[in-house]
Amino acid sequence: MSEVKKNENTTAPKVDTRKMEINKFSLLFNKMGIWIIVIALMILGMIVSKGQFFTSSNIQSILEAVALTGMVCSGLFYVTYSGNMTDMSVPITMAFGGVMAIQCINFGFIGAILAGVLTGVVIGLINGFMIGKMRANAIIWTLALNLLLSGVIRVVWQGKMLYAEKIADEAHQNSANLFYSISRTYIGGIISLMAIVMLVMFVISWLILTQTGFGQKLKIIGTNYEVARFSGIDCTKQIITAYVINGVCSSIAGIFYAALRKCASYENGTGYDFDALTAILLGGVALTGGKGSMVGTFGGVLAYGLLNNCLSWIGLGTYTKYLVQGIVFLFIVWMNTYSNRKLGKA
Amino acid sequence: MMKKSLAVMLSGVLVLSAGFMTGCGSSSSAAPEASAESEAPAAPEASAAPEASAAPEASAPAETSAATGEVPAAAQESYAKLLAAEESLMTTDNHPMMAEGLSFDIPAVDGDSAYCEENYEENEAAHWHYKEYIDWDTANDATFPESPADGQIGKKVICIVHGAHAWTTCYTDAFKAACDAVGMEVEVFDPNWDQSTQDGYIDQAINERPDAIALIPLSADHATQQFKKITDAGIPAFCSNTTPEADAMNYIIAYTGPNDWYQMRKLADMLGEKLGGKGGVAYITHNVGGSPYYARCYGPLTELAEKYPDIQTLDIQSPGFEAADVKQVVSDWITKYGDQLNAIVLADDSDQAIGASEACKAAGRTDIVIVAAGISQQGLDLVKSGDLFGLSYQTCQGDAGLCVRTISEWFCGIDINRVNYLSTDVCTADNVADFEPCQW
Repeated sequence: MSEVKKNENTTAPKVDTRKMEINKFSLLFNKMGIWIIVIALMILGMIVSKGQFFTSSNIQSILEAVALTGMVCSGLFYVTYSGNMTDMSVPITMAFGGVMAIQCINFGFIGAILAGVLTGVVIGLINGFMIGKMRANAIIWTLALNLLLSGVIRVVWQGKMLYAEKIADEAHQNSANLFYSISRTYIGGIISLMAIVMLVMFVISWLILTQTGFGQKLKIIGTNYEVARFSGIDCTKQIITAYVINGVCSSIAGIFYAALRKCASYENGTGYDFDALTAILLGGVALTGGKGSMVGTFGGVLAYGLLNNCLSWIGLGTYTKYLVQGIVFLFIVWMNTYSNRKLGKA
Repeated sequence: MMKKSLAVMLSGVLVLSAGFMTGCGSSSSAAPEASAESEAPAAPEASAAPEASAAPEASAPAETSAATGEVPAAAQESYAKLLAAEESLMTTDNHPMMAEGLSFDIPAVDGDSAYCEENYEENEAAHWHYKEYIDWDTANDATFPESPADGQIGKKVICIVHGAHAWTTCYTDAFKAACDAVGMEVEVFDPNWDQSTQDGYIDQAINERPDAIALIPLSADHATQQFKKITDAGIPAFCSNTTPEADAMNYIIAYTGPNDWYQMRKLADMLGEKLGGKGGVAYITHNVGGSPYYARCYGPLTELAEKYPDIQTLDIQSPGFEAADVKQVVSDWITKYGDQLNAIVLADDSDQAIGASEACKAAGRTDIVIVAAGISQQGLDLVKSGDLFGLSYQTCQGDAGLCVRTISEWFCGIDINRVNYLSTDVCTADNVADFEPCQW
């Protein structure tokens, strides 16, 4: 207050009054973010499961349940971080990745995987070019592309399911079986390959974000596009790169999804766009871009799985689960916003 | 400009490569999976419909005969064509596509729907009587259009399905094939799972003034309004596949589709026997509120409660149709209930079954007995591998075929049953070969 008195001629106080309301909880939540919730959920899990929470089967169950969402998050993070909110074409990227992988099963297992990933790259390039270069509205463009590609799959494959073993010729039946097995492989009999791939993808994404100039540039673009542009950053290139990474991650998730379902169709991946965005926002990433971390995003993904697991242990019915999940997620997002505001970061 | 062209080219690459991979150009024409096995035989003399084929076993209400009555002279050519189609059209898994429907006697209950739900527990069959049996009051029937009794040849039918899905593709292909075989013209509307779009298509269909409308209602509750609108417009309405609420039957010439309740009871009987009459069972349901939700959860639940009182219901969950979500629920059950969990009943034999069986395998609990509804490729594979103990055979092409058959019979002036069920087979490891190759 004394500082305000010294500046009586000014019309506004120079002190950011929001910072004066800092309390320890805001500071702690802002520093630890979603991990406070993760720890709280683990404690809750231990209580409600009567000690069975940290059994290998339960941990495995949690990781497997969030593996596909996690894979998508590791790429979608960049889109949100770049200030383009989200990618509505995630479901069709997953579907197309799976469809192309199965369709190309006669090129062998590696050929099929590469075809699936390449599909993600092409979709990422299209999205990146239209949004990064042509400045198309990210939501409307990706939504339109989702519809367009959904139509393409339905027309080309006549709305039918694609089964690898039916498409594979005699010589490639083993490739089909190998393809299906990727979602059923357990390393050391304990942790699933899907969960490991998700963790590896998060580590790679974290390295790209923190150890490369791309990550820094994307932060500036996400924070203020015009400033980034006038600073000499090639915004188009960075945004295209973000969408290509997102396309690759989504298509990998789509390949695992198709392998798990043992078939591919246009409906694979439905709902993963919103699941992944929810996990990303839970992790403290700002929808407006430029704020958030890969570690936080991973925390958001874990919280997603942990909450589901805890509610199952409590024995809630499906709809009560939805209700509780909604309340918890709203609370987390509110806490993120509240603590940022208290710290003058928002 | 060059970059714009690049974007267009990239989009084109995706489309073209997809087309190239599948040989789109040569196979994009509508080719129904169902095939005519042979040339249509000479038209038999007009007579009453053939006798019912498979007789259901188990706790069944008595089966009754289906369509009956003399065929008027004006419809004899049509009826002969129908019988020829019945002989020749086969499903992909080599079953008759237009087999005669089954019907069942309805047991008596001591009250209306509200009374039953209030006075009987959820594990008692009477609680669900009005959901299980399309037990409507015929006194409230609307004035239906009269059959022209001149046969189905040349008639136009509009088929409004529920939404895009591989099942629906198979259904519509079969519907078209069956209509083609009996000489009817068909137009299919797909509202893509949207209720208001389906309502809009009903208006559009009425405006086109077809000779009949077949509808798969998206919602059992909303079906009454939809069928009332069609019937009030003077167009014969047929309900296919999804059971409407009982009151809707007042506006429906006939319902055709699977007897989900009966099939799930059969599965439950098999399950109870397999478990030796004791153990714990958990249920993964269909989408809450739809007719499969009740049939595929409370059908087996009430059957087990009645016949095997030592079998306990552990939990009922509705995680949807994502294999990963179902896997988590089942994994959680295995950790939570341990050896108490002996069996799982699933509403879907594809993604739900994959999720459940993967969870059991991952936990080393291959002793858990799993049964499911449906007849998908994944389901058949799981039955063959021993991961699924049994599943109900719900023929998709037969569903379409039965609907077309019933419509044709009505056009021929034959007295048709108001409710016509599909055959009620159950698929196990012993007879899985009878249901291959899979229809969709």
